[in-house]
Amino acid sequence: MNPIITAFANGIKKSGVELSNIVVVSDIPFEPEIIKDLGVDFFHVTRGRAIAFGTGLKLGNPDLKVVAFIGDLMTLGGNHLVHSGRRNMEMLVICVNNFVYKEIAETPAPSVSSPSETGKKFHGTGGFSAFSTFEKPFNAPHLANSCGAVFTARWTAMHTNELTNSIANALLKRGFSVIEVLSPGPNFYKDINQIDSELLDFYYKNSVTKNNEDTRNVEITSEEKIITGEFTDKEKSPFIDTYNAQLGKILGDKFIPLGGHSGRD
Amino acid sequence: MKANPRDVNSGTYYMDGDVASGYGALAAGCRFIGGYPITPSTEAAETFARIAPKAGAVFIQMEDELASIASVMGASWSGVKTMTITSGPGYSLMMEAIGLGAMIEAPFVILNIQRGGPSTGVPTKTGQADMMQSRWGSHGDYEVIAISPDSPQELFDYTIKAFNLSEKYRCPVMIMADECVGHMSEKVVIPPAEEIEIEPRRFYDGPKEKYLPFKPDQDLVPKMVKAGDGYNLYITGLVHDEKGYPIKNQMEKGKRQKLPTRRLVDKIRLNADKIIELNEEGLDDADVVVVSYGISYRVAVRGIEKAREKGIKVGSLRLITVWPFPDKKINELASKVKAFVVPEINYGQIVFEVERCSHGQANVVLVPHGGAGVHNPDDIAEAIEYAVKEKKKIRKVIEWKTRLEKFVFEGGCKLNK
Amino acid sequence: MAEIRFAGYGGQGIIRSGIIVGKGASIYDNKFSTMNQAFGPEARGGACSSQVLLSDTKVLYPYVTVSDVLVAMSQEGYDMFEPELSDKGTLLIDEDLVKSKPIRGKIKSFSIPSTRLAEELGNRVFANVVMLGFFTAATKLVSKEGMEKAVADSVPERFIKLNLKAFQKGYDYYKE
Repeated sequence: MNPIITAFANGIKKSGVELSNIVVVSDIPFEPEIIKDLGVDFFHVTRGRAIAFGTGLKLGNPDLKVVAFIGDLMTLGGNHLVHSGRRNMEMLVICVNNFVYKEIAETPAPSVSSPSETGKKFHGTGGFSAFSTFEKPFNAPHLANSCGAVFTARWTAMHTNELTNSIANALLKRGFSVIEVLSPGPNFYKDINQIDSELLDFYYKNSVTKNNEDTRNVEITSEEKIITGEFTDKEKSPFIDTYNAQLGKILGDKFIPLGGHSGRD
Repeated sequence: MKANPRDVNSGTYYMDGDVASGYGALAAGCRFIGGYPITPSTEAAETFARIAPKAGAVFIQMEDELASIASVMGASWSGVKTMTITSGPGYSLMMEAIGLGAMIEAPFVILNIQRGGPSTGVPTKTGQADMMQSRWGSHGDYEVIAISPDSPQELFDYTIKAFNLSEKYRCPVMIMADECVGHMSEKVVIPPAEEIEIEPRRFYDGPKEKYLPFKPDQDLVPKMVKAGDGYNLYITGLVHDEKGYPIKNQMEKGKRQKLPTRRLVDKIRLNADKIIELNEEGLDDADVVVVSYGISYRVAVRGIEKAREKGIKVGSLRLITVWPFPDKKINELASKVKAFVVPEINYGQIVFEVERCSHGQANVVLVPHGGAGVHNPDDIAEAIEYAVKEKKKIRKVIEWKTRLEKFVFEGGCKLNK
Repeated sequence: MAEIRFAGYGGQGIIRSGIIVGKGASIYDNKFSTMNQAFGPEARGGACSSQVLLSDTKVLYPYVTVSDVLVAMSQEGYDMFEPELSDKGTLLIDEDLVKSKPIRGKIKSFSIPSTRLAEELGNRVFANVVMLGFFTAATKLVSKEGMEKAVADSVPERFIKLNLKAFQKGYDYYKE
């Protein structure tokens, strides 16, 4: 089974969160074989909208633990990332970064760094990237941190234990958490043997762990080592708490707060 | 099931249509609205945002309409009734997600207070040019229900009905109102809760391990559960089987007939007679029938009165439900009448549906309007007069030259001459 | 059936006037009414208008075609909507703000110093309510009680008394 899903399953176990309470929303097509055995509810929605869909799930039933597995986080999902960070919407976002839209063609994603000899490893070679890429990449943990995320981390798919721990930590966090996972290519959900193991190995060997590193310094470049670790871990009132506090202040007894099953019939 | 008294602000009010719809949503049991402000629909969202927290419901202003509609579907699957509110440009942004909504059979309501278009168009004035978009906006095959209210009272009543239909058929239901109706103030009576009938969600109550999220009941609609209740749901926008799992090889033997799209279409088409609501007046001996909807109906009534003063036998068919389209009714009328006259605030949308269903039996006259205003009733009266006199069968939609069109034609569009 | 047009500029309470008349007629007098407003940038300053249709039966066609009453609180509003007024209609203008043309047909014309009367009460924002008082007495389209209830219902609670006073002032001005 895919290492990220394994880490996710172990992370849930470690966190002690009830499995049936977890709802996974994704905008990338999982194969049912992998997710169905996990015991969680799973929604596969339109590209980039996993966070927004998850927001509805969370506000419809605040008891849910929403996890968004996202491929298009910084493109189609960019605005949702920015605003959910601002609101501190309680949700764990796992951004699977493979640098390319390899499922479609080997086209570069906005997370890919500019070209160089080593950097070629990051790049796709087909589709839109016939001339390689020359645009500046996003630094996902820094973007999330700047928007207000309470927890950010980055690991490669080979950092199994570290990733498991981070997922467990983030699941217990009350607020918007983002974990970036570097994983080679679209086949991450397939049998491990089919994964481009050379590339997976390359990410892992080319990384250095620096926990609590300032997110400004963790940009991925072709020249330097990839910095992994848990970067952000802070406390901030999550959206539903702020909502309840603000409306309670104004409406007093007339207000029926969100939470538990109060809002549900 | 009766409405919850907590949700119903009973009383007699003088309010505009937008506001009435906000009250209607809460009375229907709506628990979540994700929206983004856009003229001329904002007052509906504002109203809901103001009254919802006292009933345990929530309004959230999302970052855009893409997020609004996605959040609404998420909330729907979390087990609550949901709606979003928008107009023109926002409605366009929601189109991709409507296909997902149809595919994952999430019940939800979209209120579209139509404005003049295309693009930014005329934000503060009316239009009825999103009618086809509401039917065909998202890619792929699916069916929706669309309702066209004509007054603030109806915006209250039919918002509730829209929720009821969406729960019953588990499909997107659009309230296709327009700026005129949205911003018009009239008396609105909000009845006591015990007089409001609401459709509860049809939850599955069988054994957990036997639940199939897309296994239909007799009426072709499957039962629902709530996310987080331990059903190990797998809900996807991919073509899926009854369990919800993607059908990998659609040509695989025995799987092809299980494609869900056939049922998505059939659950509305085969139930159309139960869904469609029409308002008929003077059809029995009519020579001409005016087919209209929304504000255009109220304007057409004046035109009809004028034509009747001249002794013309003219009936009125008002489409309260626009989608599914009343094919049968129009076809039946077409065999009896000389012509249909269709006034709408666009350059021809519903008129082509009327032409399709008339199968060449009756002439079809379009009274167009470019938006930002309503028809001059005299134009409608004259179109009726023409329609009754026209002896020839004209095998295409006849576009009536209204005063406004003549003015534009003679004043500016020389190219057309 | 009566078709009423209020015209003025943003901030004069032109739309509120329409709502009050509509509310008075349909909620307190049990008639039918439809109120439409010119919506948009014009509602926030500049030319502004609202229209009310009153009827004993359900109002279908919801717009003014020939108005029975025109209440003009600005020159621009008067110029724009005067041609729409019926030959037998009633014209109400604020005499300090509008210069009227010679009377046409059998139009009943009244000049009211509504802004001045409102200033006597301490604030010119009551001018529209003074006008409504006069409108009620002059046209008798809506009952005095209905209008008073509608006024009280449409303003913040702490201003109810002052508004009713302004209403009465306009009402009495007609009686004089």
